[in-house]
Amino acid sequence: MKRTTGAVAIASAAALLLSACGGDSETPAGQTPADTQDAAEDTAGDDAAETTEDDAAAGGDAASETAMSDGTSLVIWADDLRAAALEDVAAIFEEETGVPVTLQVVANENLREQFKDSVGAGAGPDIAVGAHDWLGELVQNNVVAPVQLSSDLAGQFTPESVEAFTYEGQTYGVPYSVESLALIRNTEMAPEEPATMEELVATGQEMVEAGETELVMAQQLGQEGDAYNMYPYLAAYGGGIFPVLEEGGFDSTEVIIDSEETIQGGEKIAWLGEQEALTVNLDGSNTIPQFIEGNTPYLISGPWAIPQIVDAGIDYEITSMPDFEDGGETTPFLGVQGFYVSAESKNPQIAQTFVQEYVSRPDVQVALYEAGDRPPALVEAYDEVSQGNTDIEAWGAAAEGGTPMPNIPQMNAVWGPLGKATADIVTGSDPAERLATAQSEVEAAL
Amino acid sequence: MSQTVTDPPTSEVGHTPAWVHAARWGLIALTLLGLGYVAQQAIEAGSWLIVIVVAFIAMSVLVVYSTRRAIPAKYLLPGLVLLLLFQIWPIVYTAATAFTNYGDGHTLSKDEAVQAIQAQSVRQDPDAPRYGMSVAIPEGAAIETGELSFLLTVAPAEDAGELEEELGEGADAGGENVTGDGYQLFVGTEEGLEPLPAEGVELRGNGTVAAAPGFRVLNLMEANQRAQEVQELAVPVGEEGSAVKAATTSQAFVGRPTISYDEDADVMTTAEGRRYVAQDGNFVPEDGVGPVLPAGWTENVGFENFRTIFLDPAFRGGFLKIFLWNLAFPLLSVVSTFLLGMLLALLFNDPRLKGKAVYRSLLVLPYALPIFVTGLVWAAMFNQQFGLINEVTGLNINWLGDPWGARAALLITNLWLGFPYMFLICTGALQSIPNDVKEAAAVDGAGPVRTLVSVTMPLLLVAVGPLLVASFAFNFNNFTLIYLVTRGGPFDSGNSLVGNTDLLINFAYRIALESGTPNIGLASAVSIVIFGLVGIISYLGFRQSNALEEVN
Repeated sequence: MKRTTGAVAIASAAALLLSACGGDSETPAGQTPADTQDAAEDTAGDDAAETTEDDAAAGGDAASETAMSDGTSLVIWADDLRAAALEDVAAIFEEETGVPVTLQVVANENLREQFKDSVGAGAGPDIAVGAHDWLGELVQNNVVAPVQLSSDLAGQFTPESVEAFTYEGQTYGVPYSVESLALIRNTEMAPEEPATMEELVATGQEMVEAGETELVMAQQLGQEGDAYNMYPYLAAYGGGIFPVLEEGGFDSTEVIIDSEETIQGGEKIAWLGEQEALTVNLDGSNTIPQFIEGNTPYLISGPWAIPQIVDAGIDYEITSMPDFEDGGETTPFLGVQGFYVSAESKNPQIAQTFVQEYVSRPDVQVALYEAGDRPPALVEAYDEVSQGNTDIEAWGAAAEGGTPMPNIPQMNAVWGPLGKATADIVTGSDPAERLATAQSEVEAAL
Repeated sequence: MSQTVTDPPTSEVGHTPAWVHAARWGLIALTLLGLGYVAQQAIEAGSWLIVIVVAFIAMSVLVVYSTRRAIPAKYLLPGLVLLLLFQIWPIVYTAATAFTNYGDGHTLSKDEAVQAIQAQSVRQDPDAPRYGMSVAIPEGAAIETGELSFLLTVAPAEDAGELEEELGEGADAGGENVTGDGYQLFVGTEEGLEPLPAEGVELRGNGTVAAAPGFRVLNLMEANQRAQEVQELAVPVGEEGSAVKAATTSQAFVGRPTISYDEDADVMTTAEGRRYVAQDGNFVPEDGVGPVLPAGWTENVGFENFRTIFLDPAFRGGFLKIFLWNLAFPLLSVVSTFLLGMLLALLFNDPRLKGKAVYRSLLVLPYALPIFVTGLVWAAMFNQQFGLINEVTGLNINWLGDPWGARAALLITNLWLGFPYMFLICTGALQSIPNDVKEAAAVDGAGPVRTLVSVTMPLLLVAVGPLLVASFAFNFNNFTLIYLVTRGGPFDSGNSLVGNTDLLINFAYRIALESGTPNIGLASAVSIVIFGLVGIISYLGFRQSNALEEVN
């Protein structure tokens, strides 16, 4: 007989889910797309890697087995891919400073929550590797400490990547990679790069009618929608979620989801839905597989899709998302990965030394690039790895002009309602009406 | 606990052997030691409530087991302690949380929030130099206690002239504090910045001081023993409020907090003079324009969360809808799985059937698979466009996008998951029904249907009735299935808080962890309401199944 209280049920259910369901599920409402991307990336890893990660996740739940900041060594939490990339850096750091480094693998989908909870309890690591859009939430709960980058050093990174780790004028992390959505094309099926979205849809439809493929294109959306994946369209005519401030960042006091510009973008989403280019039946679990199985020549996704595509032996080319014929410029969000310093670190200066003086080294940024295949945030490292690497150049081009995902905590109140609005628009709701509903819902939640 | 328990009979026989005493006291000591360790951990973490509870338990252990009295308590105590820790405590804690605004942005205490806001507001002076830094103590002082100072260096650079201006008198010392290769040297303490005579100073490759006369330069690990003090050491410099602070182990920056706190007025003031007043667990701008300061604190909100549940229109409407589905889902699940399980059990109970062991083990298979796998597989099979179900049946049902489709999908999935359990318990119960009652029914002229309805079923229900109630209660809180298959969706336009297939527990989870501003206080309040509902329903259910017992 179950007599547990709701709280215990929530806790145990959450623990079970967190430790066991892993990256197979679709986008959870309210969770930010960066998590989803990383989840997708996890499934991309080979089976062995996944197993170890799951083991780590199970182990990570027990506090006794998770390394915490203790004042004798530098404890870094990262997911399995990044932890592997950090091993060399850790060795260099140990050799040069004499400070032992403990690398703790924490499953990607648990990292944010565990970092937040453990630091909140006065424990946790010295350093955590994570996405920039966690920042507002982490600052709000005093999980991360400011990182006082010298202006010289800050200038060596791409401006967007530093801006991404800036919240209310303060910098809280050191970036190392930038990612965004782009068009990945199967060059065997579609040799020509489409100049516009219209051309892409027309080519795709011709191929479907000819029976060569099954889908015009593949892009993750799902029954609950996906504001991250639909944002390039919503922002194509200057709309979006929050207005961009001149000094960088977003003005979270104003919501522009029902603005004329955003609705114009919403109409494009409706059109793509009518043309069957977008469908709610493609979600995190089946979007990339459709492309890999050759059911569609086009995939709109990010760097996390590449390992699976390479494994499948598909010839591909990465190009920026095409614009619309009438001048609408698709504008994807940028996601930036970087290093946070815990506000409860027992080794604050040593942790700061690691993130400011070691993470910013070109060789370290290159090593991290090799583990994750995303363009480095440090300009020198980017120049080095993009030499003769068309993929990285293409990702770099796709990220150009993009805006970093807002890192304000209010975004958590946006992903769900706006995502659901995009799903409804694709299935036939009127964009103007549906975005107005989303606007009022977001406003009510803020 | 009886006060008048007489000594146990064994004492009359004579003295208890010494080793029994030793073992008993050994165990008591061991338990107390363990509790002492827990208490020590709790003291270190500053949780005084836990210390009090542990002390209380320790006292109870000592009182109950050290004497010969209170025999029943000796048996009851472990159970009581476990009941307290694992049943009562979570309920009390949840209830306590339900009256707070605890949640994202409100996890700190007010003091922590004030500190956090000030620490986060420290900004670098854009024009100030970046110093090379070493941590030092006076020569001969102990590492743990010696007064800390920063030995600072400024690399020779083109803007050195500017720097001298800014540092004023400190730089007037002229050449005395400049090394041969042009590094300027300073000593920073809480009093301020002083030039450090260059004579006898050794520099490292990165331009920091390695050794200076009169000082003992701490190495990285030594300095780290006093990391908190190093972090707090601020060397006042230049304009008011600016200070040199440690940036890393080898660099220092000049910065100042841009927000100050007036404790008496409970007001935060920024450098530009904007005032933020404390309100509802946040510092909000006094003029009402603009966002609140990031870090907020937990505070008591009284019945606010319960008021939200019962009075907020979006909430109230959603709550009723969810509650109705929350009743229908477990009820339909139990009925459908029970009927299918029972029919199969009746079928496989027929003595004429061969190879029953094989069929039975095959049937139990769904029960043996982990729900995390089956749930996700079923979700994929219900996909309208790419799913197996529509493909095989040739239908085009929007399973997961239509409210009724999603509800049907959940019931189908749960039927598949749940019938093996019902099959198992029905098989067991059927085998325990004696054959003579059926024979008696046959003698009385009852046909197979009549036997089933009037004889077998009532006897079966007596055995499985309580299990059906348990199954109902389990499905009442079947979070995992909903989460894996539909995530509570689909959602009505404009309401992404209330899903069409949400159970109350999924709803609480969304509020607590997934919604825009995760609000654990509100989710706790929902949990308390769920707790009450489950309690009432279980009570009614058991009363009903007690009535079934009367068949015997």
